[in-house]
Amino acid sequence: MVRTTGLTKRYGAAAAVDGVNLMVPAGSVYGLVGPNGAGKTSLLALLAGLRRPTSGSMIIDAGPGEIAVLPDTPRFDPWLTGREVVSLAQQLSGAAPDSVDRVISEAGIAEAAGRAVGGYSRGMLQRLGVACTVVGAPKLLLLDEPASALDPLGRREVLNLVARLRGVATVLFSSHLLADVQEVCDTVGVMKGGRMIFQGPIDRLLVGSALPRYVVRCRPPIEPVIAGLRLQEWIAGVERSGPDELSITVRSLADAELRLMAALAGTGARVVSFGPEEVSLERAFLELTQP
Amino acid sequence: MSLWRLEWLRLLRTKRWVALLGVYIFFGFLGPLTARYLSEIVSFAGAGGATINFPPPVPADGMAQYVSNALQLGTLVSVVVAAGAVGFDAVPEMGVFLRTRVPGTLRILLPRMVVVCGAIVFAFVAGSLAAWYETWALLGSPGARAVLAGIGFGSIFLVFVVALVGAVSARLNSVLGTVMVSIVILLLMPVVSVAGAAGRWLPSHLAGALGELPAGGARPSDYLGAAVVTLVATVCLTWLAVVMAARREL
Repeated sequence: MVRTTGLTKRYGAAAAVDGVNLMVPAGSVYGLVGPNGAGKTSLLALLAGLRRPTSGSMIIDAGPGEIAVLPDTPRFDPWLTGREVVSLAQQLSGAAPDSVDRVISEAGIAEAAGRAVGGYSRGMLQRLGVACTVVGAPKLLLLDEPASALDPLGRREVLNLVARLRGVATVLFSSHLLADVQEVCDTVGVMKGGRMIFQGPIDRLLVGSALPRYVVRCRPPIEPVIAGLRLQEWIAGVERSGPDELSITVRSLADAELRLMAALAGTGARVVSFGPEEVSLERAFLELTQP
Repeated sequence: MSLWRLEWLRLLRTKRWVALLGVYIFFGFLGPLTARYLSEIVSFAGAGGATINFPPPVPADGMAQYVSNALQLGTLVSVVVAAGAVGFDAVPEMGVFLRTRVPGTLRILLPRMVVVCGAIVFAFVAGSLAAWYETWALLGSPGARAVLAGIGFGSIFLVFVVALVGAVSARLNSVLGTVMVSIVILLLMPVVSVAGAAGRWLPSHLAGALGELPAGGARPSDYLGAAVVTLVATVCLTWLAVVMAARREL
């Protein structure tokens, strides 16, 4: 379990982390998202003890040796082999020696484990970083963009690995890949400008933040339909999302259910199909973070 | 794989041991050779018709020649090798790896400082023994007691150099910056000694002991004050390195 209260990190007048109240339940997978410069990496560094907070408090239910951190671009001494790097991580974390081969295999670098790390690609370094992170069976994993440099297969393997940790360890990972967060996280935190602007289950973010939107397919001509709908004050926006498809944002579900069909009929639209648009995490994220 | 083995592998695989041993042993053999054949070398190089007469070389000249060469380039190489070893945060991602796994910066720094210190002292002693052997073969035997004392005082100076590099590195967190600042500090110490009697108490005073003691102009007891100051400074600098590294944020 991780809990912070009013956690703040300032560099002069600028706040990298500004009064963050974080709550990560034990055994959960928590996704931290936000635009560049939102404060995600700074927050992870504070939790890892790599930086000292300016103010606020932290409660972390894991000892110093039970926290593992994976930076977004892991780097190791280039003259060590991959196996030696994992072996060093295992030795320092006090884990059983037989776990080295297992995590190397799980990270998908078994064939390269005997080679010097200096010849690894960025994706292989990230896989090696993942192996070093999990080898000590830590109670808390802080992963900064763990799949950002990986190919689709590598990304899938890392996500599976993270998903397997649910209930075994507490995982807090930041990512720009919202689909990854949506897939493996129980809880999501959205940061912007150092502040936590949303925190809770993903379902609540999807339902609670974004305005309802409907997708309507009509036969041409479609321009009169767009013009007619834009006159309605309860409609927040109308966008053309395909040659004969409209995306209609309404201010409330009640308005849509009561008036949308009538409004479409009023514009003379020849409706082929009609339905609510599924809210994606990306859309909810953009609506939260865009000015 | 332990942190001690990591440092041992750093020395071996990055070929830093070759640089250290190479420079000290090279000058160990070159110094006495130069002292023995200095007049021939100058004549061969040509003195523009002038004749330069050198006094006949004595055993102390061999050791002095070694010290004057090895203490410049050898110390420079030692500073570079030490700076590369003790700057564990110079690449932040590597610092994260260690800092999140090892409790306390002392446990990270100690193997780095001890191993690199051992390697530097070993190389210096090996070079000194080479110089002693060749001096004995070419010029005659310098006093064993004086040579051994000189080697001891020189080793203490090199331990101080590593501690200095450690403290500077903990403050600057940059390998190049650490090398530059450490060299400037080491260069300033002899300048201070020229200015007054305080130089007899400075660590740099120990550096020349191996050249001065066999010549008979000084006694081992003349270096005891500087040795005590150097050991105290070494302990203080090491403590400073650990404290400053612990305070640093990544």
